[in-house]
Amino acid sequence: MIIVSEEEDDSDSNPLFFLRQPVYDSVLNINHDYRYLRMGYYVSAHAETFGVEVTPNCTEIMDAYRNPLLMEKAKRNGIRTNEYRLITSVKSEFNAPVLLFAVNPFTNNSMKVVDSDSKLPEMIKRMSMGARFPVSLHPLTGEVHEIVQMFGESTNEETLAFTKRFYEVFNIPICKLVVQIDDGGVVLNHCEPAIKKEVKWDIVHDKMHEIKQGH
Amino acid sequence: MKIACFVEAYNFEIKSEEKALLKFKSTAETMGHSFEFIYKDDISRISDYDTLFIRATTDPSSCAYIISRLAEQYGLKVIDDPHSIRTCSNKVILHDIFQKNNIPSPGSVLFYGDYSHEIIGGIFKSLGCPVIIKTPYTRFSSHVEKASNIAEFIEISRHLLRKAKVLVVQEYVRSDFDWRVGILRNEVIYLCKYYIPKGGWKVKSKINGKNVWGETIAVSRDTISPELKDLSINLSKHIGTGLYGLDVKETNDGFKVIEINDNPSIYDGFEDVIDNDIYEKIISELVS
Repeated sequence: MIIVSEEEDDSDSNPLFFLRQPVYDSVLNINHDYRYLRMGYYVSAHAETFGVEVTPNCTEIMDAYRNPLLMEKAKRNGIRTNEYRLITSVKSEFNAPVLLFAVNPFTNNSMKVVDSDSKLPEMIKRMSMGARFPVSLHPLTGEVHEIVQMFGESTNEETLAFTKRFYEVFNIPICKLVVQIDDGGVVLNHCEPAIKKEVKWDIVHDKMHEIKQGH
Repeated sequence: MKIACFVEAYNFEIKSEEKALLKFKSTAETMGHSFEFIYKDDISRISDYDTLFIRATTDPSSCAYIISRLAEQYGLKVIDDPHSIRTCSNKVILHDIFQKNNIPSPGSVLFYGDYSHEIIGGIFKSLGCPVIIKTPYTRFSSHVEKASNIAEFIEISRHLLRKAKVLVVQEYVRSDFDWRVGILRNEVIYLCKYYIPKGGWKVKSKINGKNVWGETIAVSRDTISPELKDLSINLSKHIGTGLYGLDVKETNDGFKVIEINDNPSIYDGFEDVIDNDIYEKIISELVS
């Protein structure tokens, strides 16, 4: 297995070098940002072109980063979500408080908490860029947390079992998750790139070391 | 069967595209199927259908990708499938596929913004002059520029790299037209010549400040040269079994593929003029 990482300690290759070479071995792609058209995505795409196994693969990346795909995959695999809706304009059945996530190609860190019905139309209009793109609307039922998931480990002890399950299902080595915690436990709402400084790189290095030993 | 056709409002703005969409609908209905246009507000109810045909512009960042992937997960037959969208929408990935599979194509390299004398000199030495610079997400000839010297290359590439991490730099191949080979399930279903407009160098060129499209001339698919046919089918097999449009230059040195597109344009009175059974073929594939 080749480990490709933007953090060069313990890795076999950095993304730029990797992209210039043919690939013959399976690949573990470690990056804080796998968004489409970013380096993290290209590493996985390059490995796929050469027909080798790669973690995460491009389908897994897109399934995690596009909100409706995330929600559907989570539901199918028994990860708790709440009833999200894809909308481009306000419908009468939606009541604040809600969480909104933009489903357009341009926005990252797009979460908005809207606590009053009167603010919903303007916010949806803005986030949908005038109804050009859908907005994913989630009911607000618990306490909102942003956690960083690294190979199933979490920056929040309370969500450790949840992040382990998330990693089993989604196979994304590093990401930020937006969740709600209520009496029933943890509810998944969104997945996006982690900010590099939010990642606990010592955990990532330990995991990389374990994986290398295993091979 | 219930066929969903995913479109956006802009698909009905050009008369010939609207007519083609209505031909798909009437063909499906004549064949005994229902055919409904659906929009982004309908994404959540895609599982109500048996099969999905996407005509809105596809890209992994678009709603079209979301509906394609959801439909695939619900077990619907899908044109364009998510894998084809991810592969064909990205010229960097196509560059990799061409190189790995020895697809005859203009010489090309990936450029990440290293402006050292060695790299820039190497590009012009290996590709000649001028060179074509493309972003990964180019479509309909947009975000494709020609640089005739190093100064132009630096200016254009710096501008394009503001939004892209990597660019494809390609040898310029002059031609009067590009072959457009329409492929479905690895068979040629139509053939056209997309002409370069006079005074331009690509199918959609800016001439005197205005975007001008070249002429489209349909040619019988039965007349396709064996070399072009083999090349097109071979490449399509590396992508999948969907609906593709290949752009190919004919040169003294043989055929050279410029790109393969998922979601190829099909307009009434253009691609369908000679081989007008393409509507039937596509609907048959959707319901097979």
